Amino acid sequence: MLQAQADYLAATPIGLMADQPEPWAGSSDVPPAPVKAILENDIRLDEAIDGALHQIVADTESSALAIIQQVRDLHDHASKLVEYLEGSNLTAGNLGKEILVSMNHLVQIADFMQRLPAKMQRDQQSVTSVVREIKELGGLVGDVQAISMQSHLLAINAAIEASHSGSVGVAFRVVADEMRRLAANTGQLATSINNGLARARAAVESGIAKTLSESAQQLAEVSIATESIRRLRENLEDMNQYYKTRFAIVTKHNEDMAGDIAEVLGQIQYQDVVRQCIERIQVAIAARQESFRDALELADRQGPAFAAVPDQLASILAGYLEEEQKHLHSNRSDPADGGAVKLELF
Amino acid sequence: MAKTIMIVDDSSTMVMSLKNSLEIAGFHALTAGDGAIAMKSLQGGAKPDLIITDINMPNMGGIEFIGKARKLPGFRFIPILALTTESHQATRDEAKRLGATGWLLKPVAGGDLVKVIKQLLPGA
Repeated sequence: MLQAQADYLAATPIGLMADQPEPWAGSSDVPPAPVKAILENDIRLDEAIDGALHQIVADTESSALAIIQQVRDLHDHASKLVEYLEGSNLTAGNLGKEILVSMNHLVQIADFMQRLPAKMQRDQQSVTSVVREIKELGGLVGDVQAISMQSHLLAINAAIEASHSGSVGVAFRVVADEMRRLAANTGQLATSINNGLARARAAVESGIAKTLSESAQQLAEVSIATESIRRLRENLEDMNQYYKTRFAIVTKHNEDMAGDIAEVLGQIQYQDVVRQCIERIQVAIAARQESFRDALELADRQGPAFAAVPDQLASILAGYLEEEQKHLHSNRSDPADGGAVKLELF
Repeated sequence: MAKTIMIVDDSSTMVMSLKNSLEIAGFHALTAGDGAIAMKSLQGGAKPDLIITDINMPNMGGIEFIGKARKLPGFRFIPILALTTESHQATRDEAKRLGATGWLLKPVAGGDLVKVIKQLLPGA
């Protein structure tokens, strides 16, 4: 590329001038007006170009700095967002854990409630057994009443027999009367016990029926509530997993963006590479201006003095090309083609 | 604790590009506009873990800076990387002779630079 540039420049009028003698060389004539005008105009053009190049460097640097700042802001905003999400994720996680603990307690209570019917059934069987015992007691009381009735009849018969025995049976009649009172009291007592047992049995049976009726409805409600809690817990776990996944995706995007930003910050360095290229061009232009100014100044003092100009320009060109060859940026440098190594650790 | 990297370059674009790349990667960055300013900073007590320097700078260029920095107490083994568009072998050899640790061509992507730094500063 640089050789091609050199070849091209050598073929231009300035390059060709180096191989040809000045037509006015050795003459005392003043330089031809067109040549002088060309050099003067070229100096002015070079000054304008130099000013424009300065402006280009300043503008591109200003723009590069603005891009760097904006890219950095972008990175900072993204980092804050991730930080915020991380905080939210942590808070939500802790909250979720607390909710899960509470839900586990509720589930335990619900499980207990669901086991309650079986427990109540066992209790009911016990109570039924008690009722059966009460019934059996009622049967025994009937036996006592029957025995009381027989004792009463026996006492009456004994009293009749005692009255037939005259004075001999007086004492026996007293015993018979006592037995009759005893039988009557026993009968009354047995009746009272029987009534009491009947009331107790009725109360127990009524209580069981009521409890069973109420608990059936409550247990149905508990069952619904338990199912709701289980679903809620599953939803909460799903939600936690969803947010974890989302957060992982956001973090990955942020990392990718940080990588892209690093690439952008690398690419923006071309502004410096270009600046240095422009500065080398400016050096060559300044040298050319100086050569022309010297030639014009000399011509004004002692007549034609342009013979040295072609050599000076060739020298400036060679110097410029040499400087260019010393400066390569990493994307133009391919070691496989004999270019400089992009990275070398000594 | 974040490692400190000193960036020495006369280009504001380079300084800001490298500074932001390194800060995003978790490093602390010090900056200097040329070799003379960097020397003054080092003599004033700045103690970077690694230095990245340009070669062509006004006042004091990178080659001279590398030579002088290496002579400062405590800077004999601190890694110094040259980051430049300069590819002249003689300049490269001179930098190596004066104590440069490595040579990188501009531009360098933040990720690549961080890889090199982590190679030179294990655990960074």
